[in-house]
Amino acid sequence: MPTTRFTPSDVDELRAVLADTTASHPRLLVEGAGTAATTGGRPDPADAVVDTTGLSGVLRYNPADMTVAVRAGTPLTQVQAELAGQRVAFDPARGRRGATVGGLLATADGGPARQQFGVLRDLVIGATVVLADGTVAHSGGHVIKNVAGYDLAKLFHGSLGTLGVVAEVVLRLHPLPRHVVTVAVPGPAEEATRTGTDLLGRGIEPAALEWTPDSGLLVRLEGTEEGVLARAGAVEAVGGTILSDDAQAAAWAGVDAVADPAAPGTTVLRAGTLPSDGPGFVATLAAAAARAGADLAVSSGVGTGVHTVALTGGDHAAVLAAAHAAAGPAVTVLRHDGLDPDAPLWGPPPAAVALLRAVKQRFDPTGRFGAGRLSPWLAPVRDVPATEGVPA
Amino acid sequence: MDRVALQAELVAALGADAVLTDPVSLRAYECDGLTGYRVVPACVVLPRDTAQVAAAVRVCARNGVPFVARGAGTGLSGGALPVADGVVISLQRLRAVVSVDPVNRRAVVEPGVTNLDISRAVAAHGLYFAPDPSSQQVCTIGGNVAENSGGAHCLKYGFTVHHIHEIEVVLPDGTVTTLGGPAPHQGGYDLLGAFIGSEGTLGIVTRITVKLLPRPAAVQTLVADFPSVEQAGDTVTAIVAAGIVPAAVEMMDALAIEAVEAAVSAGYSRDTAAALIVELDGPPAEVTAQFAEVERLCHEHGTTKVHVAPTPEARAAVWKGRKAAFAAVGRISPNYFVQDGVVPRTRLAEALTRIGELADEAGLRVANVFHAGDGNLHPLVLYSEARGEHERAEHLSSSIAELCVDLGGSLSGEHGIGTDKACSMPRQYDDADLATMTLLRRAFDPDDVCNPGKLLPTPRLCGERPGPHRPHPLEAAGLIERI
Repeated sequence: MPTTRFTPSDVDELRAVLADTTASHPRLLVEGAGTAATTGGRPDPADAVVDTTGLSGVLRYNPADMTVAVRAGTPLTQVQAELAGQRVAFDPARGRRGATVGGLLATADGGPARQQFGVLRDLVIGATVVLADGTVAHSGGHVIKNVAGYDLAKLFHGSLGTLGVVAEVVLRLHPLPRHVVTVAVPGPAEEATRTGTDLLGRGIEPAALEWTPDSGLLVRLEGTEEGVLARAGAVEAVGGTILSDDAQAAAWAGVDAVADPAAPGTTVLRAGTLPSDGPGFVATLAAAAARAGADLAVSSGVGTGVHTVALTGGDHAAVLAAAHAAAGPAVTVLRHDGLDPDAPLWGPPPAAVALLRAVKQRFDPTGRFGAGRLSPWLAPVRDVPATEGVPA
Repeated sequence: MDRVALQAELVAALGADAVLTDPVSLRAYECDGLTGYRVVPACVVLPRDTAQVAAAVRVCARNGVPFVARGAGTGLSGGALPVADGVVISLQRLRAVVSVDPVNRRAVVEPGVTNLDISRAVAAHGLYFAPDPSSQQVCTIGGNVAENSGGAHCLKYGFTVHHIHEIEVVLPDGTVTTLGGPAPHQGGYDLLGAFIGSEGTLGIVTRITVKLLPRPAAVQTLVADFPSVEQAGDTVTAIVAAGIVPAAVEMMDALAIEAVEAAVSAGYSRDTAAALIVELDGPPAEVTAQFAEVERLCHEHGTTKVHVAPTPEARAAVWKGRKAAFAAVGRISPNYFVQDGVVPRTRLAEALTRIGELADEAGLRVANVFHAGDGNLHPLVLYSEARGEHERAEHLSSSIAELCVDLGGSLSGEHGIGTDKACSMPRQYDDADLATMTLLRRAFDPDDVCNPGKLLPTPRLCGERPGPHRPHPLEAAGLIERI
């Protein structure tokens, strides 16, 4: 870990840090709250850390427009706390440990609300990023609807600190629901997928639809009291039980615990499949975990096909290999505490891996940021053929 | 490159029946929905499949010839305007609905399928494709991906970018790749999200896996008349502040209503200053509870009349009127420009007042139709070519778009930048922003052959110092013309 830490407190300071240290500190590691320090790869040694937690605070909250502009190092919980009757409709487990908005964007994290609201790529309407040479670039703006220019926030979604530093983001907000009820429908993954598909088809519009082995299918309903209770009744009719407030909180805490477990030595991975392939994927990993002597906890978005898996004990590499074989490039290792230091974290590269490299080459031609992350998909920049004519 | 040699190479690659070269046929492709800009291409190709699209692109790439992808040509920003001496690649022959997967709520379609045909193809499963641009009967899904199309219902449901799982793309060097995947979690940068809305400048989409939604269980629609646009605007703010996310909130002013009633007799009140259309959809109990609240809020803010559409047919009539508004303006004016700017919702009233003042200064009329829920304005600048008002109208239209930026909004909410607004981009983004966007473009298209001159300002189009200057040097040089 390098000893030099830069802690800029606004975009100008960040720009100056990056522009002034290209020679003295050519390799940088961008760090937020540190809640996902091991997501997506093992960073190579760097000359300095750019600590974004000083880039903190709400810049502009427009409740009537339902938008908020924040510095990217602001913890999501702090943003939520400053909103009145509104929310960022985004519930990643790491949020509770102080994860920053920028870190959550760079790691493409998400929670059960993905079912209805998506993740930050769907909620960010504007972004300011700073590139390796101190270039400050904006895209989007303060309005929900905006197709002017390319959307740089999308590019930085999942970039893991390899393209530049996200300095500010503007978020779309949603109203806080007046009433929230969770209905649990017990049963195995196959049954949960059938039930979930049926409920979606009937226009129940769940805010979240998550399955865990312990809770069964959790159907979160948000809206007016009348509307929520009517919909909850429809879920009860297929075998569900309305959870008490305490049971509801415990059930969702259980889902969060899969993605962000407290136990040391845990490996956490996230993978996407077709929703109908979800139960088979979960069964495959469970079988691999059993063979490898690992304990497996899982949480599956029944409507989205996004699965989060936590492993404790045993041989995690074998389970990860099974995930790579089944879901290919749609597997991200969120935490690799239970893996050998040299275990490969990324599976087969996506079809567009050459484009990933081309984007990296254009945005960070000297390889300043995040070396080791997204490796080996992002081959070291020196190995990528140089392309001439980088525009001014 | 020599035009005849280019045509011969394309014929060799795709076959004679896929290549148009005669001047009369080529003229049909000289513009899109923005008819003021016209350029006749060197050649038009009509590939039948991905391999042929890739073959055509490879011919262009090999020879450094620019190419422009084209769907139905309904775009309103000149995104499909041909490049002189370039090739237009029409996707009209790629129009298969390849597969429908009702369990996973998705379909695989080719880019030439129209937006509405997707919903028709999956209707039997109780599903539909949510983005609904007004041109949905004719515009294609490939064009929707290029423009990140919205529509009236995007307040609740989002834009095209929220409804695409995966796309197959022919890149500007002719290679074929895939962006996205079966689930909304893929490793690496969100190149799918960056591609959608790139206006045909990063590649050509040849196959699309669209997300489908279940038809909402209940839908309720009302039209509320207001004595002023401001009161209607305040009502929208009150509805949203009450925690209601309507499926759609649309507004029309008196002039727009006059045009719509002249054209389609949709039943709007002719004597009102503003009409607000509010549609709620979702689970029945939810819709019923919130609809009552919307009605109450309309009355609280001074509505003079609330008309609740009692049947699906009545609802369809309301929407027919709204979606026909652009074309209907032809009934009250010989010529018009459609503008597309966005302001923060809370500045709607201010924007409309300023637009009125700008119109008065120009001595022209402006009809306003807009997506009030998200602040997306569609001012229609009415003018007469015969009376020589063209230039004044065009200036007014540009002023309105730039006013939107000054009010903290955007040059475009859904029609795109294309050719029309490329030179206005410096109003919204500074040099560093535009240079950074160029980095993305060059990562996909290092040789600048893929729809060049669109979306970002170029010195060639906008003058050495990019800025909102008119007329275009190209126009002055006789390379493009305006009608």
